[in-house]
Amino acid sequence: MFPEVLEAVREVQLPLLAALLLLGAAAKAAPQAAGTGVAVLLPERLRRPATLATCLLEAALAVALLTATGLLGEAARVLTAVVFAVSVVLLLVARRRDPEAGCGCFGGLSQAPIGRRTLARASLLAVAAAATVGLAPTGWEVASAPTALHGAVLGAELLLLALLSPELREAAARAATREPCALREVSERRTTRRLHRSEVWRTNAKVMIRSRPEETWRHGCWRFLRYDGLRHGHRVDVVYAVRIGGPGRTGVRAVLVDRESGTVIASFGAVTTLDLQGPPRRLPRPRQAAKRDEAEGRGGAKAGTLAKESPGGSGRGLPDGVRASGPVV
Amino acid sequence: MTDSGRDRRRFTAAVLGAESAPEPTPVHHRVARGVVVDATSYMLCLATPEGEERFLYERVTSFWRGGEVRPAELRPGDDAVVLCSHDGRLVAERVWAQAARATGVITGREGDSLQIDPGHGRPRLTVVLPYRISGRIAVRHPNLEPGYLFDAVGTWRDGEVWAARPVTTQPPYPLNSTPRRPPTRQYSTTVTGIATWYDPAWGRSSHLNPRALVAGAAYPALDPVGHEGVPGECDRRTSCVPLPLLSTGAALSLRNDCTRDTAVVPVVDCAAADSWLCDLCPSCGSQSAGRLASLTMTSFVALGGRLEAGCFNATMTVANQEG
Repeated sequence: MFPEVLEAVREVQLPLLAALLLLGAAAKAAPQAAGTGVAVLLPERLRRPATLATCLLEAALAVALLTATGLLGEAARVLTAVVFAVSVVLLLVARRRDPEAGCGCFGGLSQAPIGRRTLARASLLAVAAAATVGLAPTGWEVASAPTALHGAVLGAELLLLALLSPELREAAARAATREPCALREVSERRTTRRLHRSEVWRTNAKVMIRSRPEETWRHGCWRFLRYDGLRHGHRVDVVYAVRIGGPGRTGVRAVLVDRESGTVIASFGAVTTLDLQGPPRRLPRPRQAAKRDEAEGRGGAKAGTLAKESPGGSGRGLPDGVRASGPVV
Repeated sequence: MTDSGRDRRRFTAAVLGAESAPEPTPVHHRVARGVVVDATSYMLCLATPEGEERFLYERVTSFWRGGEVRPAELRPGDDAVVLCSHDGRLVAERVWAQAARATGVITGREGDSLQIDPGHGRPRLTVVLPYRISGRIAVRHPNLEPGYLFDAVGTWRDGEVWAARPVTTQPPYPLNSTPRRPPTRQYSTTVTGIATWYDPAWGRSSHLNPRALVAGAAYPALDPVGHEGVPGECDRRTSCVPLPLLSTGAALSLRNDCTRDTAVVPVVDCAAADSWLCDLCPSCGSQSAGRLASLTMTSFVALGGRLEAGCFNATMTVANQEG
């Protein structure tokens, strides 16, 4: 029984080491990772090349551990063990030189100061790599034909590695924290997608002349897009405001502004949060309102034409939010 | 650019409400900028865009040209910024001549001169560190090597900036190793930090260049989308203050925490170099690190700033109506 377990432990190391090396290489390739970790031992201009070289070496070793056989495979395993052993020494030197420095093992994620856990992890991996020397199968063969014993060993070892990894807490914190919408950088494509899916966009599709916005600007949580438009023979500016994040129902607003006079002809999409002054205290939801209108035989207002025309400030006497609230879309 | 900014504010106000885009305050009538035509011991004659203007002195009027100077030491051809006394545009209270500022990352060093890259595609500056003040600079900027940041106020001389005093303490690491701001959960529309200044006209022909008198601010958290057409990429980093992303044309309400002056200034440019620095201002008021905005020279003076000090503590509000 014992020799089988030992064999399984040795075999599992190959795909595990390869996976860890690939993860490390990918994290080091990110632009934020340049010059972090052990690279602080080098002069400024050499840090980035050194990080990239480490990244390439790790990727090459990972591929070799997975696929190489014979003498080449043995060489890769020995080299992996040497790389991890050297990294333990480098981590010790870096810790002495700069006690605040992170290890940079997983690029920007490894910013916690080098501690005993990091050193223990590197030593463990060095021993694991040394244990694979002399094994017959390649890493890929082990990974493609796993047994229950392999699974158990892998689970135990992953748990041990998780306990030794300060990066997990950092990754969890990053995943849990979301920047407020006003600070979040969002691509133009994402904004456009949200805009094109909205009812407000479909309502105004006929007014716009071009499909590309004339200009785009940002105001905190909102991104604005201005399109040229033509309405009843008059040039208008169709200005969309797309919310970054937040509920989709209120995510897109629009105004039509007359080019010559600069007056707002119509506004779409704003939903009031204020109560009305008299009963009913709240406006009905748009679908309910449409159904009720149909039942009452009016049926004139369809979803697409709900835009409240406000030449010269209609809706006087209502609070600000209510005035803009008619065309809830 | 100002026209497009006005349109953007108009449209923003139409969608989000008038409070979200307040009307910018015009440049204060107390501030004048132009080229010195004549400077005597009792009167300063300045060529400004509005023609020739004359300013008398008071007993307390001070003159700065790399240091406190006498009025007769101002030379014809000097670029001058005048802050008038409260009584009107007749008596000068403070006069700055040839004021220049070099904020950016050091790209080269030759003897006692530095090459500074101010970011955002702006032309590189040559900064001369005269022996007389090199010690003072070295205290606040111990690393005058490529890759480290630099910020000093000085005077223009033959197209070069002659440093007169440092206005920040250099971060101990190069720009590339600056730690990233940890993600923030909290966001408030009112942020405290410091406001600095820059010269949009680079000290050249300020009586003819319309940019010299622009009221506005360069903003360190400009949204990259919609800023592509402008010459020079906004090579900013994530600022250490949680600043809302804005575009040119947005309006910032700024308050000088020392003098309690307030103004609404439009965003006119990208302040790449100010997003790189995360410093304190050793003046009165609240002490918060991080740069909120880089005002144009005239807006900075109008808000009660002293050009030679380089900064003041400020509170900024960006209204964000979510009605």
